[in-house]
Amino acid sequence: MRMFRNRAFGATLLVGALILAACGSSDEGSGGDVTDGPTITVTSFNFPESTFLAEIYAQALENAAYPVERNLNLGSRELIFPEIESGNVDLLPEYVGSSLQVGFGADAPTTTAEGVSALSEEFAALDMVVLDAAPGEDKNVFVVTQSFADANGVATVADLAGAGDIVLGGPPECEDRATCYAGLVSVYGLSNLAFESIQEGSARIAALESGEIDVSLLFSTQPVIVEKGFIALDETEGLIAPENIVPVVSQEVVDAYGDDLTTLLNDISAKITTDVLLDLNGRVELDAQDPDEVATAWLTENGFLD
Amino acid sequence: MGFISDVVAWFSDPSHWAGSDGIPQRTLDHVWLALLPTMIAVVIAVPPAVVLAHRHIGRFFANALVNVGRAVPSFGVLIVAAIFFVRAGASLRFWPAVVALVALAIPPIFTNTYAGIANVSPSLVEAGLGMGFRDREIVQRLELPVAAPVILAGIEISFVQVIATVPLAAVLSSGGGLGQYIVRGFAQGRGGVAETFAGALLVALLTFVLQRLFAFGEHLLVPAGIRRLTDQTERSAV
Amino acid sequence: MNRTVLLAQAEPRPLMDWDWVWRNLDDIWAQTVEHLVLTGIAIGVGLLVSLALAAAALRWRGLYAPIASVSGLLYTIPSLAVFAFLAPFTGLGLLTAEVALVSYTVLILVRNIYTGITGVPAGVVEAADGMGYRPVRRFLQIELPLAAPVIIAGIRIASVTVIGLVTVTSLLGLGGLGFFILDGLRRSILFPTEIIIGTVLSAVLAAVVDLGLLGVERWITPWQRRRA
Repeated sequence: MRMFRNRAFGATLLVGALILAACGSSDEGSGGDVTDGPTITVTSFNFPESTFLAEIYAQALENAAYPVERNLNLGSRELIFPEIESGNVDLLPEYVGSSLQVGFGADAPTTTAEGVSALSEEFAALDMVVLDAAPGEDKNVFVVTQSFADANGVATVADLAGAGDIVLGGPPECEDRATCYAGLVSVYGLSNLAFESIQEGSARIAALESGEIDVSLLFSTQPVIVEKGFIALDETEGLIAPENIVPVVSQEVVDAYGDDLTTLLNDISAKITTDVLLDLNGRVELDAQDPDEVATAWLTENGFLD
Repeated sequence: MGFISDVVAWFSDPSHWAGSDGIPQRTLDHVWLALLPTMIAVVIAVPPAVVLAHRHIGRFFANALVNVGRAVPSFGVLIVAAIFFVRAGASLRFWPAVVALVALAIPPIFTNTYAGIANVSPSLVEAGLGMGFRDREIVQRLELPVAAPVILAGIEISFVQVIATVPLAAVLSSGGGLGQYIVRGFAQGRGGVAETFAGALLVALLTFVLQRLFAFGEHLLVPAGIRRLTDQTERSAV
Repeated sequence: MNRTVLLAQAEPRPLMDWDWVWRNLDDIWAQTVEHLVLTGIAIGVGLLVSLALAAAALRWRGLYAPIASVSGLLYTIPSLAVFAFLAPFTGLGLLTAEVALVSYTVLILVRNIYTGITGVPAGVVEAADGMGYRPVRRFLQIELPLAAPVIIAGIRIASVTVIGLVTVTSLLGLGGLGFFILDGLRRSILFPTEIIIGTVLSAVLAAVVDLGLLGVERWITPWQRRRA
């Protein structure tokens, strides 16, 4: 009996310890505690470029001894905006055009500057500050295979009208977006275009190659487009707006850390060109390097890490 | 309530009922994507389980296989399978999901078949031997019919799990049956909650209907005497 | 980077790039721990909730049927749908994942706790009553230990199930070994090492936890061993 009671006690302890361990280790946040102030939660969308951009900003902040927490690879804009509204996001690398059109349902800007000022107004309502836009941009592009382009004489999005019944593959949120499938149908009148929802880019590339879809939504900075010999169709109707990278930061963090922080982030953004995006995407997608490694390497090459 | 009317609106939208992306076609896709892997799993799992259980060997192996099998994450198998299909230049729409679902379906079918056959009363087997049955006849005419309810229960468990897991395939491709509504609703945040709910409701409904059909089929397949024999004892072997 | 370099890199990679594994050992370890933490919370909380529900069902027997049927219904709802449905309300993250995971755990555990305890022979319960055990003490010292094998069997099934489901919580932006599976898919499906590592380690983790719990069962129910 005595023996048993000890064991039962031990088992209870074990379960208790499990729960404690579970609760205890989950708030083992990273980052230094040198600077006093709010922890900066850095967030990214669910594709590699967004993640390495978030890593670039996060590591530079950590290097300058700001307390940083990562919440990366989170989801589509539709999922992240509610998180911003709930105050769970302190830094997010955004894309000017998509943020305005998809995030806020606003009209597409024609220039980057126009986009940034419109975006600043929209984000102000969410207590977020829009910093300087980077020179680099990453647009949505509609790509086809070389053989499809040759067979149907297609070089622009408008040419797709003559290609018979064809299928566009895009992530689920593409279907109703004015910058994506919905816009292709309404602006270009592509009534011959059907939509297939394929969430991940890598799976869309596979579907394009296997002939399951004819057109795929990809990002202009994906080196895989060149590597696979895909043709990015010219988009002439201004469906796709300027898409410069622009970090948005919470008012709370800007108030707490002031110019030191914004200057650091702006200096970094100034160096992010489209070529940099292509290069870093190549390192992640083709060289199998991890987004955090790629970010560290780029920051070091550019003298932001010591 | 806004939410309920959103769900009703989703179901009353005629575009959700038409074409390859409509509810009828996606329901059929879902059924086929659940049925085929379950049938493949039966073909793979039942014969070795019957042979091993008949000879009363490999109980440890059977247990280990089931435990390891249950531990393999379907999501991982799905994506690992996708690697191979991509390399072969094949479509990701159907077969990677079949591979993952077959892996999911095998363990319950294997355990129940093994348990069903192994637990057939030795006196019954002896009676068969006394009647001059050969090994093969004992399996075919005694053990299989007596174990049938337990084996079918295993197949049913697998089938239900597979139906509920089909939607994972929608993360990878435009397939995944009704799961596509769930994934699409998910990607659209708050605006997609009604669609997600509609998808989940359809899957639950489909499971319910298929389970009833399965029970009816089982009723036809298993002789009444055996049903009475095993009903109260071994239905819940797993 | 010039074109020929890119083309050379487009060759399918070996399935296992061990160099990647060695470079990322610390990450792999961290995600494994995270996976265990997510599982531990689900099992811990699920166990508490299930004990309460089972105790209520034992006190008022009429409750068991509704509890069991609600649990049974939940099982037919895809986990992905539960995550997707909760996310807009409970946010992307831990809460959403745990609400879903705890629900699945409860579903398995309530049934096992209830059947385990109702399976304790009536004679034993009467003997305890005769020895003057009050209901709470009888429950904790007699019924719960005797039901332990069935309950632990339930915990084993729940743990293995939850470890598998945690791979899917990567879709909510959470860590755990599913991170590698999803990240591998997102980055490039031609680089499979990450995907394979995530899948294999998750399976190994489930098998190890299952064996560990089997050990716990043997340890706290020594009378079972003597019988065998």
